[in-house]
Amino acid sequence: MAEVRLKDIVKVYDGGVKAVDNVNIDIKDEEFVVLVGPSGCGKSTTLRMVAGLEDITDGELTIDGKRMNEEAPKDRDIAMVFQNYALYPHMSVRDNMAFGLKIRKYAKEEIESRVAEAAGILEIEELLDRKPKALSGGQRQRVAVGRAIVRKPKVFLFDEPLSNLDAKLRVQMRTEISALHTRLQATMIYVTHDQVEAMTMGDKIVVMKGGVIQQIGSPLSLYNEPINQFVASFIGSPAMNTVSAKVREEGGKIIVDEGGFVITAPADKEEGLRPYIGKDVLMGIRPEDVTVDANATQAAYIKGTIEVVEPLGDETILYISTADHQIVCKVEPTAMVKVGDELTLTPNVDKIKFFDIETEKSIFYRG
Amino acid sequence: MISYTKEGAKKNALVFILFIAPAFILFTLFVVTPVFQGAYYSLFNWKGAGPLDKEKFLGLDNFIKLFHDKYFLTAISNNIKIVIYSLCFQLPVAFIFALLIGRKSFTGSILFRSLYFFPYVLTEIIGGVIWKFIYNPQFGLLTQFSKFFTDAKNEIALLGNPDTAFGAIFLVIFWKYIGFHMILYIAGLQGVPRELEDAAVIDGANGMQVIWNVILPSMRNVITISVFLSVIGSFNVFDIVWAMGQGGPVHSTETLVTYLYNFGYKRFAFGYGSAVAIVIFFVCLVFNLLYQKFIVGDKDK
Repeated sequence: MAEVRLKDIVKVYDGGVKAVDNVNIDIKDEEFVVLVGPSGCGKSTTLRMVAGLEDITDGELTIDGKRMNEEAPKDRDIAMVFQNYALYPHMSVRDNMAFGLKIRKYAKEEIESRVAEAAGILEIEELLDRKPKALSGGQRQRVAVGRAIVRKPKVFLFDEPLSNLDAKLRVQMRTEISALHTRLQATMIYVTHDQVEAMTMGDKIVVMKGGVIQQIGSPLSLYNEPINQFVASFIGSPAMNTVSAKVREEGGKIIVDEGGFVITAPADKEEGLRPYIGKDVLMGIRPEDVTVDANATQAAYIKGTIEVVEPLGDETILYISTADHQIVCKVEPTAMVKVGDELTLTPNVDKIKFFDIETEKSIFYRG
Repeated sequence: MISYTKEGAKKNALVFILFIAPAFILFTLFVVTPVFQGAYYSLFNWKGAGPLDKEKFLGLDNFIKLFHDKYFLTAISNNIKIVIYSLCFQLPVAFIFALLIGRKSFTGSILFRSLYFFPYVLTEIIGGVIWKFIYNPQFGLLTQFSKFFTDAKNEIALLGNPDTAFGAIFLVIFWKYIGFHMILYIAGLQGVPRELEDAAVIDGANGMQVIWNVILPSMRNVITISVFLSVIGSFNVFDIVWAMGQGGPVHSTETLVTYLYNFGYKRFAFGYGSAVAIVIFFVCLVFNLLYQKFIVGDKDK
């Protein structure tokens, strides 16, 4: 039951390093917001400012309309799950989960029933009397989540909680945390550097880089309408191919020429590309927006040689070198291809993105 | 070197023996043998020369005499006081210093660490001599200070007064070893993950609660060692006391080891001295065994 609002939030560290610059995020009640970006982008710092573990240099943080900048972490009604679990090593699982309630002087029966309830939700009842060191990584993370939910806080904060787990467990915990969100109907803020986690879990994703928010949106809007080249290549796996290409006009059509291959711009993009005639643009093609097609038309095709084939079973990833670039594409596993093959690919022209080479902004971004 | 085949086993045994031999021989020669020798001597009235014959055999008389000697009892009580004062004042203060200067580096944090650690680097004798100067009633720093800042004309003679001498000496022990324990605690603090404190703060703990519930338990191993070294060290205090007054005035600052030196070695009462040494040995041994069993061994529970 909490709305969290970050308004013009700035964090400058003692040495003068600006870690977070003018961050504005509106988080609705019960929303699952993911802060994502490469390491050092300020996402964890932002989360720690919400938690109260870092001072806010400038700007205002409100939870349910109440200014929180000066409030101690304990008075913000938040709970946090840490990357390294941060379980108290000398306490049993039960005591770990009960600690926050004991400190807050809850009645004994209340503590017991809350711990039992949380343990039930997370299916860790049989672990309650163990010490953290007798648990596996996945179990520890469950306990850490349990410690957060017994408090029934307004806001849950997650700081890269899954990055220490192995791949399989990570996928499992991902769905469990999503399910937990549905069940608890609480506001959650989740920090990760993994775009897959962001895409699969978030109602809303905040992409950050260098302390600055790049784009805020739903997973699909970020995927379909990236605001700039950074977001375009950060969201999606394998990353979007971005190649520089020259724009020219030929017989009334706008042609984008990579050197090795040419794309004829679709009609709706002609107007936008016209100012770039004679100049370079960045062309973004998602690996999944390319099909192998021997009968490619002259309008749009990519020619290249296969350098690496990665058969993943459900799909095959090809690394193709064109005249000037390397292009990654995702094809059907049935495609009969091998290293060294010459290949003609047809890109889905409507899905190609164009970015200004100077500003790296999407030329056709419709916010 | 080490072979894991059957044929290699014989060769292995030789390798093991060669590696163990030097330490084993030295330890036996200089530690184990003297303990037994001492135990044997302690049963005799022996002046250090001549045969240990039947007439000199006293049985346990040396020990009985020991525990009836009021200076010996003073010495034991002084040692116990050093243990108690160290555990109650020195180690907690060392921990507070470690909290203050060992967690974040700030301007001067290295200077502070060095200043507090410096006394530990000094030889005990040197430390004792320095403080003897400070305490000197005529030209000592303390007297000079009191004359400078107050109207008092009296000289301050802490070491000359049986009521104050022990306190004055304990202050030097406090000063000498606080840096050592502080460094141990700083090392221990650095092993406490920052996240744990963050988690406790989020859980609602205040500063004291974080220290009590999270930091101290996480430093259990370091504190175990620090307490152990402090107690064993307290029973072996000698140099500082010796340098500052040789157990005086009137044996008021005697410790077990200075007592041994004064009443055993100095008076050529080697049988009697050995009895003192055996008592010290047993005190340390018993403490060590109990500590290992109940404190160190308890770690996993």
